[in-house]
Amino acid sequence: MPPVNGTFCVTLMKDRCINASMPGKCATCFEVCPYEVFALDNESSVRVQNYNACVGCRICAEFCPADAIRINPAESEFLVRSPWTFPQVEEIHYKAQTGQYMLRGFGTMGYAPNFDDITIVPAQIASPAPRDKYREECNMQVVIGEDTCEDPIHLQNPFLFPAMSFGALSREARMALSIGAAQTGILNNTGEGGLLKDETWLIKGYENEERTLKRWEPGGYLVVQWSTGRWGVSADYVRAGDGVEIKIGQGAKPGMGGHLLGAKVTEEIAAVRGIPVGSDALSPCRYYDVQDLEDMKRMVAFIRDVTDYKVPIFFKLGPSRPYEDIKACVEAGADAISIDGLAGGTGASPTIVTQGVGIPTVALIAPAVQALKEMGVHRKVKLFVLGGIRNGLDAYKAMAMGADGVGFGAAAEIAMGCRACMACHTGRCPYGITSQDPKLRARLNPVEAGQQLANFIKATAEEVKILTMLSGHDDIKDLSEEDLRALEFNTAATTGLKLIGYEKRLPWWEH
Amino acid sequence: MPLVVAVNGRNLRPVSAELKEAVAKGPVVVQGAAHLHGLVAGFKTGEVVIGGDCGHYLGVLNDGATIRVKGNAGRYLADNMTTGIVTVEGDAGYGVGQYCYGGTIVVNGSAGDYTAVMNKGATIIIKGNVGDEVATYTLGGDLVVVGNAGKNLGNYLIRGNIYIGGNWESLGHNTLLTEVTQDDLIKLGSYKNQYSIEADPTTFKKIVRLSERPFYKAN
Repeated sequence: MPPVNGTFCVTLMKDRCINASMPGKCATCFEVCPYEVFALDNESSVRVQNYNACVGCRICAEFCPADAIRINPAESEFLVRSPWTFPQVEEIHYKAQTGQYMLRGFGTMGYAPNFDDITIVPAQIASPAPRDKYREECNMQVVIGEDTCEDPIHLQNPFLFPAMSFGALSREARMALSIGAAQTGILNNTGEGGLLKDETWLIKGYENEERTLKRWEPGGYLVVQWSTGRWGVSADYVRAGDGVEIKIGQGAKPGMGGHLLGAKVTEEIAAVRGIPVGSDALSPCRYYDVQDLEDMKRMVAFIRDVTDYKVPIFFKLGPSRPYEDIKACVEAGADAISIDGLAGGTGASPTIVTQGVGIPTVALIAPAVQALKEMGVHRKVKLFVLGGIRNGLDAYKAMAMGADGVGFGAAAEIAMGCRACMACHTGRCPYGITSQDPKLRARLNPVEAGQQLANFIKATAEEVKILTMLSGHDDIKDLSEEDLRALEFNTAATTGLKLIGYEKRLPWWEH
Repeated sequence: MPLVVAVNGRNLRPVSAELKEAVAKGPVVVQGAAHLHGLVAGFKTGEVVIGGDCGHYLGVLNDGATIRVKGNAGRYLADNMTTGIVTVEGDAGYGVGQYCYGGTIVVNGSAGDYTAVMNKGATIIIKGNVGDEVATYTLGGDLVVVGNAGKNLGNYLIRGNIYIGGNWESLGHNTLLTEVTQDDLIKLGSYKNQYSIEADPTTFKKIVRLSERPFYKAN
């Protein structure tokens, strides 16, 4: 059964539809929709059989040669019937009929405090003058592990593609991320689903395993994730990365481990993960082989030993107690820490957890930075902020609050073509990004998608440059809280930024 | 005569560097390693004997080395091993052989709680008793316990086998208690000969999974 969604109205305009006048001539919408919204009758006429199943991916409208399909959100219902909207009613029916809770992919829906209520302070006469974006340089590099590792990572832009596993993503999407990172000199993370061999040369910009055909400059970095399920992890795996990330949690489901449902555990996924085909790969919520922070320090020590003290160690945190958690990561020996906010995404998670657990991204940064400063490692141990980061504006704000860079997970998927239909967990991604079905995967060309990712990263980097330079800086490391103001009281209260008009931090932040 | 690496209170990095050079030349005995954690990590070859007791995470990510501990082992012995042989003459602590994809672990004494958790293909033989929560979320491989087990044995077993000679306090979810088959007896017989197990394999019980997908129904 496709998920009952009920959030969209699907309209087939008969006056334009080719099939309406010539049944049998066109059934593109029926063919491309993976959710059985359209049906064919005996005379090959197309009809909308179940618009409640529409997830809003709009691939039918995209492929319709006659521009005859409209997908409109059924928004009015949210206004007039809330909280008992159709999806809410259907969710209760689903539980009543099956005894099971709802699962969902992608990220958090609806409003949470975010970066939109922060504005950027441009440079004028009283501050250092602005820099000229068109004629002057701006340093965008971030170096990870400079003082601690033999092979530090030199990011060309302050961005990374956070952990999204092979399993959650298709092979083609994984390849595209590495190709995109290679073209922009940034970092891609394997996630916890093992290593796709192809990525080890794609990430360095090579088209072939022999590394003779270099197609993408300057080449990027691949970080391998070490997680609680340890899928596909061996000494060779740990050594294959330019860094190793120890996953503690993630924004979409902090405290829950990982979920890869059996529907997506194909033969190839099973082989890379070293598990049975079709079994649910549920990573434990904690490390069975770590019982306290001392053990975690030992874990960092042996990972450094296995990788010959060459590569940086990352930690990945869910949005819990940023101040304490960041301190613990530093104590454990991190070279960089990614902290993921409430809006952080996932391939599959219980809906209520994605929706209702964790601290919003914007509120994590101030306590995290405070922890780094108190330990004397701010801007040394690098901080990356993840979870709902959409563009250069969000990135600038996070960095001015004290982060060294940001991650683009959902935004990267969208750059590949995703339209945020939130059905990643079904394995039927219409764009072949989060699907393991060969037919759907064939819709995603890794080289084209990789180019789109590179374009997105380049445009976003330009946005960060514009903002950095108009606020009077020529290096992203020089951004500070003074470059930001909170637009309203709540944001000033939760971020410690100066409030517009008042031009001061709220009193309880001054101590 | 095997080469000797004397730890002399040093920390992991210099000892590991010396050990890596030594194993390339021949078998090595390490003396005084009880306080060192994560020793012999990720080795692809070599024979290492730990002269006395060892610390935690001995042989983590082992990928081919043969390791023997003369004394007792700490926690997380041979964690995440892919191939190789790790033997302990005494007892082993909490979490022996977690996350292993392959290789063989033999503990002559007893092993602690959470032994063989998330085993994905290793052969883990404990000649004494094991603690609670043993073989949780096993996805493959064999666990042979000659003695007794504690509570919640084999919790959420997905694939793989547990063979037990003694008794257990309770079985976990998704487990099915069965008799050993003819094929099992051949396998257990070879373990018996290879690792000098005294018990009679015909008296062993076998625990396997109940359902293929105990967590979520297909949707």
